[in-house]
Amino acid sequence: MPETVLSAENLTKRFGKREAVSDVSFDVLAGEVFGFLGPNGAGKTTTIRMLVGLARPDRGRVRIRGLDLAHDFVRAMAHVGCIVESPDLYRYLTGRENLVHFARMLPAGAAERIPELARMVALSERLDDKVATYSLGMRQRLGIAQALLGNPDVLILDEPANGLDPAGIREIRELVRYLAAERGISVFVSSHLLSEIELMCDRVAIIHRGKTLATGPVRELLARLASDRVRVRARPAARAAEVLSAFGPAETEAGDAEGIVDARVDVERVPEALRALLEAGCDVYAVDRPLPSLEEVFLDITGGETV
Amino acid sequence: MRFPGLVENEILKIARQRRFRVVVLILMALIGLIVFAQSRGRDRFMKKDWRVETQERMANIQNWLRGGRMPASSQRWARFELQRLQYHLERDINPDAISGPLFARAFANASSYLLLPLLAIVFASDIVSAEFQQGTIKLLLTRPVGRARVLASKLAALMLAITLTVLFGGIVAYLFGGVAYGYAGWGAPVLTGFRAGGETFDPTAVRSIVLWKETVLVYGLAWFAMLCVGAIALLTSVLLRSTAASMGTMVAALIAGSILPRLAPSWESQKFLFVTNLPLPDYYSGSPPPIPGLTIGLAVAVLAAWAAAALAVAFAVFVRRDVLA
Repeated sequence: MPETVLSAENLTKRFGKREAVSDVSFDVLAGEVFGFLGPNGAGKTTTIRMLVGLARPDRGRVRIRGLDLAHDFVRAMAHVGCIVESPDLYRYLTGRENLVHFARMLPAGAAERIPELARMVALSERLDDKVATYSLGMRQRLGIAQALLGNPDVLILDEPANGLDPAGIREIRELVRYLAAERGISVFVSSHLLSEIELMCDRVAIIHRGKTLATGPVRELLARLASDRVRVRARPAARAAEVLSAFGPAETEAGDAEGIVDARVDVERVPEALRALLEAGCDVYAVDRPLPSLEEVFLDITGGETV
Repeated sequence: MRFPGLVENEILKIARQRRFRVVVLILMALIGLIVFAQSRGRDRFMKKDWRVETQERMANIQNWLRGGRMPASSQRWARFELQRLQYHLERDINPDAISGPLFARAFANASSYLLLPLLAIVFASDIVSAEFQQGTIKLLLTRPVGRARVLASKLAALMLAITLTVLFGGIVAYLFGGVAYGYAGWGAPVLTGFRAGGETFDPTAVRSIVLWKETVLVYGLAWFAMLCVGAIALLTSVLLRSTAASMGTMVAALIAGSILPRLAPSWESQKFLFVTNLPLPDYYSGSPPPIPGLTIGLAVAVLAAWAAAALAVAFAVFVRRDVLA
């Protein structure tokens, strides 16, 4: 079992009477990409503010490498790099000045990493331009370089894909995967984009109305809904659909040419269904159990509420 | 981690923002304008012998006093001015003779009412709120540096900026004033310590002092008053988290403070407000404080108390408050 790098224990935050975050708990393990998924207004940013000490939890505790954030803020934050909400940097300073500025807030040696980090986020060329002239994607990357200055064990990114074009989103995703796989940095990523989390994360916590609904490996959560899904490639497709509809709803997608039938068959009854297909004279080319999208998982867990 | 680095950061941010250059320009433009306007005025009025002019002024004041239509506070001032002019005349000293050094000293007196406090406010009111407005506060407070240290570094940079502003103002006043009135005269004796003891003029407190010493003293007082204004503006910046709101509040307070002694001279408790105590140089070297019972010592103490309280509240709030902006 890998070491826990960042843990939230029963975090609760009230604004007036409204409980924005209730009893949120999770552990982020060393070297994993941990997704924090929820619709806008679910309490993601409030939780992140508590994780990095910007807001005090009314109840609960944050530990970073075992250090209690409330009592050991300075030592705990030495292990953290973060971007909260948006990559806000000093627009009237250049990229390099911004990095030097934040390096001065870290132990000696941080400034020496600036050239390497600039290369890593592909900003070397523009480092001496004012941040005001940067695109959002560049500011996001500069923000990540800033967050990495202190050689952190945990990187906390709040909605890193927000406002980026598909190419920008892909760059960030690849950078995150690289940091986790090659550098061993744990990355905590929040998002309301299911596809993003699905592609980027090892484990995910789903938050809705301030409460965590589910936590677990992305694959496991996906498998929850996947249990009765079967995709069969068989000819003739119409006949196959007819046979499979005896086990649950079934339909052919693209007609006979593709020969694909999507059906819902209980796992236990899959062999029986296949035998029925063969007995009915269908040629079976392939049987697959496709994973649903995270969106479907989400809809399932939240009881059909849209994101 | 190390404090000097944090202060360096804050200085970099002040220096790279446009307001720094604006303050420098405002000072130069205003001082230039004052010198120009004054020297024009002097050309017109200073042609007569100054003794005659001083006697004329005394006669005028005496006529006003006899007219009896002056409010009590103005009467007090008029008697005082009369005695001051008399005092100079008897010793054959031109009360209005001006030189570059004298102009520099006079600038401290004149600018400590509004101009210098305003400049201090320009620096102080955004030093915390700008971080909130830019969103950079989220980065600043998630580094492995305690919040108190972050605010302390901002305070140190602010104090430095204010110190430089006062120094720069004095130097520009001397250089520009020197163009019009000559650069010599630092060693001239000046009379200081005129004190209005109620209705009577108390010449025992009047001392002769070398001008450069007096100038250093006066700028020291102006500097101290500006540091106190800066501390209070830092508090409004922390509390309001908006540069515009913070600046507006402080400017309103300044203006109220400059009007209040004239509108309500009999309300004695106003001497405990910080705004009425800002013109320390004036209270020290010349005009009687507008409120009975206010002395230079009390004024310094009141300002120091305000500044200390403002800093205590600013630190307590800044360290504790959630950052949700």
